[in-house]
Amino acid sequence: MGEVILTMKGIDKSFPGVHALDHVDLELKRGEVHALMGENGAGKSTLMKVLTGIYTKDSGTITFEGKEVEFHNTHEAQEAGIVIVHQELNMVGDLTVAQNIFIGREFKKGIMIDDKKMITESRKLFDELHINIDPKAKMSDLTVGKQQMCEIAKAISHKAKVIIFDEPSAALTEKEIEDLFAIIRDLRAQNLGIIYISHRMDEIKVITDRVTVMRDGAYVGTLITNDCTKEDIINMMVGRVIYEEPKTKSMVPDDAPVVLKVEHLNAGKMVQDVSFELRKGEILGFSGLMGAGRTETARALFGADPKTSGDIYINGKKVAIHSPQDAVRNGIGYLSEDRKRYGIVVQKTITENSTMATLEKYTSGLFINKGEEKKITEQYIKELATKTPSAEELVVNLSGGNQQKVVIAKWLVRNCDILIFDEPTRGIDVGAKNEIYKLMNRLAAEGKSIIMISSEMTEILRMSDRIVVMCEGKKTGEIRIEDATQEAIMDKATRDIK
Amino acid sequence: MDKIKQNPIVKKLGFNRIILFCILVLLYVAFSIAIPGFAGMARIMSILNYVYFLGFLALGVTFVIATGGIDFSIGPVMFCCALIGGYSLNTYGVPVIVSILLSILIGFLFGMFNGWLVAFVGVPPFIVSMASMNIAKGLGSVFTKTQSVSWPQLNDPDGRGWFRNLVKVGDVPTGLIIFAVFVIILFIVMNNTKPGRYILSLGSNKEAVRLSGVNVRKWQMLAYVICGTLVGIAAIFFVSAYTTVQPGLGDTYNNEAIASCVMGGTSMAGGLASIGGTVIGVFVISLLQEGIMALRMTKEVQMIITGLIVIIFVYADVSARRRKN
Repeated sequence: MGEVILTMKGIDKSFPGVHALDHVDLELKRGEVHALMGENGAGKSTLMKVLTGIYTKDSGTITFEGKEVEFHNTHEAQEAGIVIVHQELNMVGDLTVAQNIFIGREFKKGIMIDDKKMITESRKLFDELHINIDPKAKMSDLTVGKQQMCEIAKAISHKAKVIIFDEPSAALTEKEIEDLFAIIRDLRAQNLGIIYISHRMDEIKVITDRVTVMRDGAYVGTLITNDCTKEDIINMMVGRVIYEEPKTKSMVPDDAPVVLKVEHLNAGKMVQDVSFELRKGEILGFSGLMGAGRTETARALFGADPKTSGDIYINGKKVAIHSPQDAVRNGIGYLSEDRKRYGIVVQKTITENSTMATLEKYTSGLFINKGEEKKITEQYIKELATKTPSAEELVVNLSGGNQQKVVIAKWLVRNCDILIFDEPTRGIDVGAKNEIYKLMNRLAAEGKSIIMISSEMTEILRMSDRIVVMCEGKKTGEIRIEDATQEAIMDKATRDIK
Repeated sequence: MDKIKQNPIVKKLGFNRIILFCILVLLYVAFSIAIPGFAGMARIMSILNYVYFLGFLALGVTFVIATGGIDFSIGPVMFCCALIGGYSLNTYGVPVIVSILLSILIGFLFGMFNGWLVAFVGVPPFIVSMASMNIAKGLGSVFTKTQSVSWPQLNDPDGRGWFRNLVKVGDVPTGLIIFAVFVIILFIVMNNTKPGRYILSLGSNKEAVRLSGVNVRKWQMLAYVICGTLVGIAAIFFVSAYTTVQPGLGDTYNNEAIASCVMGGTSMAGGLASIGGTVIGVFVISLLQEGIMALRMTKEVQMIITGLIVIIFVYADVSARRRKN
């Protein structure tokens, strides 16, 4: 490790209702691989977006090569030598490798693009990195791993001094990860500063020199990787403070009937052989890191995405679910993590959304019975305490919490017995959060069964009667609430599956 | 201004529709002043002839646009229906009623074809309708061996001209009554029935509707079927008023129908549609067409104007949405 190349000090950033970064510090040296770790929503990506000029910081300083800097967009950051290799690849599939690497700054020969020079330059880059990729190949013909290498080559071609890797290994095979590490070691040897964001604890131990941990938008601490254990890092990530009283014992009687049984569910890479049971009146928490396959499991179960295999039993009877229609017919309701895209039609009224899944019940002959429709909607507005001037209000005008209540109303009107809440409180402010929690508890007490997917550890511990933990598409554990601790869950959620 | 907009009656009718209606009246007054002899029953009957067939086209495409789709095949399909129906009548001697039903059937089948491709196969509506536009033109030409087709006159010796009573009986515009009945039915379908509700909702957010357990493909396809059937009916009104149909034509009516929709407040982004607005739009376009003809300008001038209307109103809709977000 050499001298310090980049210092971020006291970085503060707020969004409406969220204090995303609370005076965060980060220091990066030349020739160092520095891990940035934290749970989902800890603020890692936000910090990197502040660094590369996507967000403007509210306060704090960024010092780069001894000078205070402030970038206004990624282009300025690139010019200065700070580049980010994104988790999602930003490549144009139909262009060649070389064309992608030099996109936006093509070499010219007169008014013509000089493809030959781009190819030679690309080849030089790949040689430097000891990568074997044909610059003339079409990008979409490469594997994800090779595309990632191209992204790295592109980053280096910007004369980068600092490279940020945002979960680079998420989509790579083991062989590709080895190749990636070889490149990263190479870059370290060339005295570049590298920030490495990943959830995989074992990788952190292998490739990084130091670890900075963030939690809830705040800086927790920096450790030297060789001097600490996996457990040290997990403890820092989840913290010792528990700010909401967790559930201490399950509210479900031992003899409660199983209402939903999923056996060996498979759907693509993200859902592999997932089996679980859900009991009447139970809140079953699904915990795991981003990309663990929880949403994918829910969507496959609900018929929103096709599944490759697996059996679903409802109240002991095997059912065929090939589409959301089948799922709804069998009494399953799904509340998406992305309400505006998948949950509600925002340009329509509360009434229209509330009866969306049940319209046949409110049609007599050919006509929609608007009176009945309004009555049931107003009943649920009252019951769920939805704040709105009227049932005819467009949903777009409601707050996040109240929009969520409209989605809940939609499934309650339908009288669904099994409800899948995917991140039920995402984008909802603290006060409304509590209301949603109370509502979920009430529904469970009334005999509804709930699957709750959540990335918030405190939410999982506070609400669940039982917890299923997933990691990389597989179920890695099932924990009774009596035995659940943040550490135990995190351990299963980060378990590397070989 | 905002106060007027908040008035419950204005809200119910729609502020933009009231403005459009005022434009319609002003336009009529302007033409009447500028062109001697424009005012009067004769012109109105002539305008109405245009209103009928264009109205059915525009009402049909309103359903498709409500889903967020588009249909550029309506004009040529209307001609295809009229050609095949008329040719069967003249050449194979089928009864008039069979010709009429055949015409509606062909429109219906085109709707099924377009709707199936869009909703079930997943081909973009733009491509589907461009292709079926050419198919309709080709089919009409092949069937009639590229000859124009004339439907019988009212004084047809074999009494086959009775269908012209659909448009007018003496001086009574019967077409207006039929058209009004259809407008009311379609208004109810759009606003008070399950198909209408789902068509509008899926136009706004298809995935959310699908995840509510609704068979979105079925309802999306239905919009095209409604459209196609209305196009078949439009063909009957076209030949009742204008008698002769030539193969290979019809595309100019696409723009006029779409212009009527967007003027009336139907959003090209889908999810928002106004049957009443479309009707006023149809009257505006028909009046413009009559006025331009009366000014001894050509059809081409009208094409320029309708083209501009589409751009202006779509831009207004897009920028209004952007402001809202």
